[in-house]
Amino acid sequence: MNVSKTPFNGYSVKFSPFYEDRLAVATAQNFGIIGNGRVHVFSLPPTPTGALTEIISFDTADGVYDLAWSESHDSLLIAAVADGSVKLFDTNLPPPQNPLRSFQEHTREVHGVDYNPTRRDSFVTASWDDTVKLWSLDRPASIRTFKEHAYCVYSVAWNPRHADVFASASGDCTVRVWDVREPGSTMIIPGHEAEILYCDWNKYDECLIATSSVDKSIRVWDVRNYRVPIASLNGHGFAVRKVKFSPHHRNLMMSCSYDMTVCMWDFMVEDSLVGRYDHHSEFAIGVDFNVLVEGLVASTGWDQMVFVWQHGTEPRGP
Amino acid sequence: MATESSSPPNPPAAGGTPQNSATETVQPANEVKQDAAPQNPKSVFVNSEPIREDQVQNAVKFLSHPKVRDSPVFHRRNFLEKKGLTKEEIDEAFRRVPDPSPSAQPTVTNQVGQGVTTSTIQPTSVSQTPVPIITVPSSASSSMFALARSRFQWYHAVFAVSLLAASGAGTAIWVKKSMIPRLKSWIRWVVMEEKNGDGGITNIKPTLAEEAAAAAKAAAAAASDVAKASQEMMISRYEEKVNMEKFMDLMQMQVKEIRSMGSAIKHLEGRSDKIERTHLVEHGGHSGSITNLKPTYPNGHKPEIDSHSARSSLPPTSADKSAPPHPNSYMDIMAMVQRGERPPNIRDINDQPPNPNQQISNPRLAPRSKPWEGAYQAKTSSRGGFGSALNGEGGSDFGAQNNEASNQVDAQSTVPWWQKKNSRITETEYVEAKPGSTTVVQTNEQPPIQRTWVPPQPPPVAMPEAAEAIRRPKSKKEAEPVSQETSGEGFSAAEVTDELQRITKISESGGEVEEMHSGGQETNGGLLGGLKLSEIEEEPVQSY
Repeated sequence: MNVSKTPFNGYSVKFSPFYEDRLAVATAQNFGIIGNGRVHVFSLPPTPTGALTEIISFDTADGVYDLAWSESHDSLLIAAVADGSVKLFDTNLPPPQNPLRSFQEHTREVHGVDYNPTRRDSFVTASWDDTVKLWSLDRPASIRTFKEHAYCVYSVAWNPRHADVFASASGDCTVRVWDVREPGSTMIIPGHEAEILYCDWNKYDECLIATSSVDKSIRVWDVRNYRVPIASLNGHGFAVRKVKFSPHHRNLMMSCSYDMTVCMWDFMVEDSLVGRYDHHSEFAIGVDFNVLVEGLVASTGWDQMVFVWQHGTEPRGP
Repeated sequence: MATESSSPPNPPAAGGTPQNSATETVQPANEVKQDAAPQNPKSVFVNSEPIREDQVQNAVKFLSHPKVRDSPVFHRRNFLEKKGLTKEEIDEAFRRVPDPSPSAQPTVTNQVGQGVTTSTIQPTSVSQTPVPIITVPSSASSSMFALARSRFQWYHAVFAVSLLAASGAGTAIWVKKSMIPRLKSWIRWVVMEEKNGDGGITNIKPTLAEEAAAAAKAAAAAASDVAKASQEMMISRYEEKVNMEKFMDLMQMQVKEIRSMGSAIKHLEGRSDKIERTHLVEHGGHSGSITNLKPTYPNGHKPEIDSHSARSSLPPTSADKSAPPHPNSYMDIMAMVQRGERPPNIRDINDQPPNPNQQISNPRLAPRSKPWEGAYQAKTSSRGGFGSALNGEGGSDFGAQNNEASNQVDAQSTVPWWQKKNSRITETEYVEAKPGSTTVVQTNEQPPIQRTWVPPQPPPVAMPEAAEAIRRPKSKKEAEPVSQETSGEGFSAAEVTDELQRITKISESGGEVEEMHSGGQETNGGLLGGLKLSEIEEEPVQSY
């Protein structure tokens, strides 16, 4: 319904947890291979069709692979940058006064970032240097480093009910569940035979976690019995880049893939695929649900497009 | 317990689904008891399986393999993790397989182990003399086996060589000294017999003298021969020993090289193959450029790029041979980077913080509760104290903006398009059928204001989202039977009702809700508000 074109290739899109009409997009030049990056903050126009309004944008020296809005401050966002830095931006300040902070600790690209939605005081970053780091905005350095994965960590996700638990998905084909109070991982789920690109917790059942992998499938696991997946969703033609659970419905999930489609799934139903959108003309890399508005979803991809639409309607509009 | 105290927000978080109610009711009970392991919130995320002995045995066999011993420890761990072993099982397997020991089997099978080990560690040089070698280990104690393998080999080799030399020399000397003179004397005796047949005894004496002389000569010759032979043998043995040592050194060097190559290959296979190699190699439409790329890109790293390093490993795109088609410009840029060129459109940007000590401004808005948190109070306690002073401003500003925006929207509703609820989403558990668009639109007038405005209530009070949830027909069916139970608990229900009345009074502009509340919880039929009320009071009641 609402569309915008970004100058660089899109990598991640996130709705603000404070403003229903606000979203941020992380982009990287030259497909993220080499080049600059930019974080855009858009606002939804009042009309159902038409372009998004750009509120502000921030340039970075290297591509931005992911971003997360702060859950404690309405104007702050954290960017995961490909040069290994984690940058803090304030959307209320003009670009020359940004970024507020730049944390350079990871030794390789930072590929994922997630802000704690329950305690709202900390965030974790996932990096290709095989580590996950825990940070807080009021500290100049990371609080902890979790080093157990044998390969790149592609994503991290906080558990929506347990403030100390988070999961990480890695190219070593495992998902690890961590507790910040414990020295090491508390659970290792060998979820797929190929690299696992993303993981997300179910918002209504804190024991369910979904993983998406290069093997084109999405699997939903119950951590109480993680040997066998609860559901294995097939339907994508290529690697599945992200999978997210709906914040409003227990069984609804959304995924995006290198087959250029965004799919909606209901994992409790036999025929799980409930919707498919093929509005992108290149790899679809980022998707997000709006937490404040039910049914509102956004996606972005390497075709430099950002789409925002209501699930159930046609993204490209009439 | 720290873990227990940190999990109070969890238990009665009412998502409102029947499925969650079971875990929710169990959790508060367990918080009190603190012992029910499977449902304890902490241990849900921990492996509670006992150690599986068969898996540990398989792991031990795997770790004992000589090739595996040379791989880095974390590779071994990762392999076992991928096979589905838990941390405890992996640790147990590592405990059972000591690292430097050559006898991979546990100490129980010592005799068998010795036999096996000798066969595996026999160097080629001592294969000729198996007898002394086997006697060595059998005489040696098990502590000898704890020594390094290389040391054993060296000792072994030297001992064997010296033994060989000594035995060879001894044999030669013995042969020369005893066998040949004996042979000669026997021949002479035969000859003598013949001569005796001719000459008689007189011939014996000269023959004896002759014999003695001959024997002396022979002895001298033999001695010199022996000396020469032994000398030659010593020299040859020495040379052999030297050669053997050289040979062994070379072999060891080669083995080391091969091992390092092997591990490097494994490393490369693990890294570069799976990464860009897959999508580069299998890209159908650009096979020409790919075959050029692959040989020039053996490593996963690009040291040639000077300042900005291009992505030396990109997210994998395909597990099997069918790679997704990459955009043409993507391949162009990869090719450019391969050649060491920088794409021209890159700017030099200084993205360092201009003021690293800049204060982070205070938030303007209070955090909003998530839809899955429902009306749970304890979670909001941390946020409730955020300052009601903020709320007024933020709320009113946003409300004003939103009203302006919504006023610009076309006539049929005063709500921005994205707030219209779409009833097309149907779930098996969540019935999202809205009772009617009219009520939705009507109530949607209020949400823009009340969503951003957080009432400055103490924790036990539900958030305005609760009031909104009142309007949402969530799980009507469970609300009905439950509400009849709660009607019996007059005191608590009334208390909650009062508080809800207060909230809704403030947040609602109309008095319609109050009327619904005054109707009491018994009035289930017909009134939407009544149902939601009972649902709301149901949730806090569960927490007690």
